Formats: sequence, C-alpha cells, structure tokens
Amino acid sequence: MRWFEIEEKVRFNEVDEWGMVFYGNYMAWFELARVALLENFNLLPRQMIELGYMAPVVNLKCDYKRSARTGDRVIVRTTVLKPKIAALVFKFEILLKESRELLAKGQTTQVLLTTEHKMIYRLSGELEKRIARLLDYCNTEGLATVS
Amino acid sequence: MEEIIHNSNKLHSFLKKMIIESLKLEEISVAEIDDDAPLFKEGLGLDSIDALELVVAIEKNFNVIIEDEDVGKEAFGSIRILAKFIQREYAETGKDTLSAAG
Repeated sequence: MRWFEIEEKVRFNEVDEWGMVFYGNYMAWFELARVALLENFNLLPRQMIELGYMAPVVNLKCDYKRSARTGDRVIVRTTVLKPKIAALVFKFEILLKESRELLAKGQTTQVLLTTEHKMIYRLSGELEKRIARLLDYCNTEGLATVS
Repeated sequence: MEEIIHNSNKLHSFLKKMIIESLKLEEISVAEIDDDAPLFKEGLGLDSIDALELVVAIEKNFNVIIEDEDVGKEAFGSIRILAKFIQREYAETGKDTLSAAG
C-alpha cells in the first residue's frame, strides 16, 4: 500500500479554546490530501462531472489519538483501498511531522452517482480507467511521491 | 445452484441467508425476513453500500449482473421480486456463463 502525503502547518484559526486543533478541521485536512491525490489522476470533482459522475461521501470515521497545536507541522497522508464493491474507500492518517507520531486516522467511503443522481453498481469507460490508475498507484509498494 | 434457482422456496431461503451473511446482519434471522417486505428503507432498511455488497454477492453466486440503480430499484423490491429477477436473468445469461466456468 502506498501513501500520498501533503504537509500542513496548524494555523491559529484552526485551534479551539484549549489550543488544540478543532476536531472538525481534521476532515478539512483529509479533503486537502484527497484532492491533491486525485489531481494526479484527473479525478477532481469537476473532472468527474465532465465524465458525467459524482462521488459523494456516504460514510466517515475518524479516531483521534493526540492533539496538534498552533504552529505544528503535520503530514496528512491518504491512500485508496482496493475495492470489493463499486465504491471508493480512502484511508487517512495525520502525523506530527517532526516525530511521525500518529495524531488521527480516518476513513471515508464514496459511492458513485451519475450527474442525474443515479447510483452506479459497476464501473465502465473512462471513469473505470482513471480509477484503475489511481488504485494501481495506491496498491503498489513504494514511497509517496508528489508528481 | 441449478436446483436452488428453479425452486422458489429454496431460492428465497438462499437469498435471505446470502443477505444476512454478505451484509453481516447477525441480529436478523432467516425467519424474520418477509418474502414480500422491501429490502431497502422501510423493510430491512438497507442502504446504498448494502446495495453494492448485494450486487457483488448476486454476481458471484448467480453470475447475474445488476448494472445500476434503475435495475436495482426493480430487483431489490423484495425477496420474492429479487428471486424472480434472478430466475429470469439466469435463464437468459447466467446459466451459460456459469456452466462455461465449470
């Protein structure tokens, strides 16, 4: 399994009254990593719409292990699991950059709809090709590289 | 499998077991699933991910393909409707491919 990584710095407006990153902001980081990964495979939301599809999130989970604080540099990494069904399952981890300590880990599941909001049960055509390339990348051993 | 497909009662039981196993519905027994109750929303209360799991289980067991939600809405009406759908589709396509697969 190969992770794709991005780096973020915790901003003052992202922490709560206790000086810890507000729990909802982890999802925003997940999304940044997801978009950065998908950009490499022409699977950004607008590119999927051009193909006639949407991929709404239907499930989200997140386990919080430790908190980050203002100024911390964090690594947000993501990968896509090999699916058994016609859905995209992203795994996420957030690590403290300096120590690589795990701060949070999460997962989202996206189903695939046509732009007419009809759910598809099987992939086909160009969408299938692009997702296959994404899955090949994520399910090959190796270090993450940002292309 | 041939025997099960052509016997509606056996097929109903098989489908109920398949649903319980593939969706891990341990709290529900075969006897509790009504042949005519909807599988989604007000019936068994299945959701979109469950539909995807069922599509894979049906293809694996019967080699019957459910392409999208339009077909799914019809096929997943109830156990009885799903059984009839599988019998019809199997007669048209699934049988040949399953035999060819050995």
